[in-house]
Amino acid sequence: MKIRGRGWCFGDDIDTDQIYPGKYLPLTDKTEMAKHAMEGAEGGMDFIKGVKPHAVIIAGKNFGCGSSREHATVAIKGIGIDIVIARSFARIFRRNAVNTGLAIIEMDEPTRIKNNDDIEVDIITGKITNYSRNEVYNGHPVSPLEMDIMQAGGLLEYLKKMC
Amino acid sequence: MKRDQTMIEKIFSRASGKDVFAGDYAWLKLNLVAMRDFGGPNVVQEYRLAFGDRKIFNKDQVAVTFDLHIPPRDEKVAVNQQLLRQFAKDQGAKLFDVNTGIGQHILMESGMVKPWDVIIGTDSHMNLLGAVGAAGFGMGTTDVAGAMYKGSLWFRVPETIKMVLNGTMPAAISSKDIILHILSVVRTDGALHKAIEFTGEAVLKMPFHDRITIASMVTEMSGEIGLLEPNDSVKDFLDKHKAGPFDTLTADNDGIYESIMEFDISKLAPLISCPHSPDNVERVTDMKDVKVDQVFIGSCTNGRYEDLASAAGILKGKKISNTVRMIIVPATMEVAMQASNAGLFDIFMNAGVVITNPGCALCTTGHPGILAPGETMISTSNRNFHGKLGKGASVYLASPATAAASAITGYITDPREA
Repeated sequence: MKIRGRGWCFGDDIDTDQIYPGKYLPLTDKTEMAKHAMEGAEGGMDFIKGVKPHAVIIAGKNFGCGSSREHATVAIKGIGIDIVIARSFARIFRRNAVNTGLAIIEMDEPTRIKNNDDIEVDIITGKITNYSRNEVYNGHPVSPLEMDIMQAGGLLEYLKKMC
Repeated sequence: MKRDQTMIEKIFSRASGKDVFAGDYAWLKLNLVAMRDFGGPNVVQEYRLAFGDRKIFNKDQVAVTFDLHIPPRDEKVAVNQQLLRQFAKDQGAKLFDVNTGIGQHILMESGMVKPWDVIIGTDSHMNLLGAVGAAGFGMGTTDVAGAMYKGSLWFRVPETIKMVLNGTMPAAISSKDIILHILSVVRTDGALHKAIEFTGEAVLKMPFHDRITIASMVTEMSGEIGLLEPNDSVKDFLDKHKAGPFDTLTADNDGIYESIMEFDISKLAPLISCPHSPDNVERVTDMKDVKVDQVFIGSCTNGRYEDLASAAGILKGKKISNTVRMIIVPATMEVAMQASNAGLFDIFMNAGVVITNPGCALCTTGHPGILAPGETMISTSNRNFHGKLGKGASVYLASPATAAASAITGYITDPREA
């Protein structure tokens, strides 16, 4: 399965408070939550104003560290991000991404991708194609178990289909 | 030949039906899914949204515990508890209402937790079930809702740190002092997503209530689970609470550990965790000038009968300082009955202590006993984050003995001088 979109780059150690500031935790409406995705990160307001549907977030190491709020993955998905590429993900963010059906993939050198690059990710094989620079990278896909849940749209959707 | 395994690898292998090792992903069959009055209402909402009126996987393996805001202090809390009561009734799940105590302790006392079990719940200290040899995990609402429906959940097998506790515990030292010492070395992120196995001479001699203290504080090192090498105290507890037949859990000889750490506990002095982080640990004697406004003994970390008895030994025939308020909260009704029968409540009331109903109590805001700005409390709980018990207040974490000794003098006090 392939996902294609324009890259939007962020740095290392983007914690969940940057992805979804704590002051919005009382929100429960997913459309409202999506309006604050990445708001606390550097360049977050530009992202919210400028991001187009089917965009790809590119980030450095330890993306999603900090508190375990599921809002972070829900907001990112809600604003139109189809996949997050990072050097590494914090463990709880990774679990939440899988459980809420947000596609994620790790790659060793995410800084090779620049803002607005045209990116295609094969989430099964891990092949990442950068059409803007004619480059191909080998990403590290999630485990087959996580892939099944992610592709079903999240844990609860997966369990509904199984049972 | 089968590769040797750590304790958590053995538990996960049995629960998944195949041999798994650190780093593997697997679906595990769950023995018990629990939710509490905090977090539980969100789980019910998400469950109903996803699965409607469909039945939970097994009514005998889902438990609802009320331990945080009990009895309810306002209407919103009362409505949340009403929602959970109705859900438990509709689904036939086991309900432990406001008259029982701290969830994990209640589950253990109800014989619902055995070695090798995999248990999840909404409480971040579910891992104290490691005291029994069970793998308990605090989880988010989506995980708990899904697990209640399916009876299984996906996991990544954690790497294990082995901690060897050498030497004999000095007389005035409790397991709280030991775990604070370990925390000062490992720090609050030192066991991030890891399992910890505790072994060595001190663990083999360690009574059950001390095992609870050790296992519960693994959360404060960001660990997933702490499992202790078992001894007869575990069997005695399980037999007394009619847990039924069980297999003892021990590690294989040559499992692969991420690291092995050794601690000599024979020369430990009483320790205290200072504001505002659990790993900010000092010797009690070095903090003796700090004035105390309130003392709390209880919580899932130090709310057992032996913890209360340790405090009673110091408070017997004495009065607490007239500048101190002291609150003692037994973990469960069973603990309260035992303390009452042993005359502990008389000692506490004569000393000027407020005793309240069993539950989590002063672990977070929501229970009577919140502090005013600038006030200081010694607590036997597990966290002292900024603002957790009142804005501008300072919380110190220590053993029940240190807490009781400090209540008498009004200053942080070494229990060996009480």
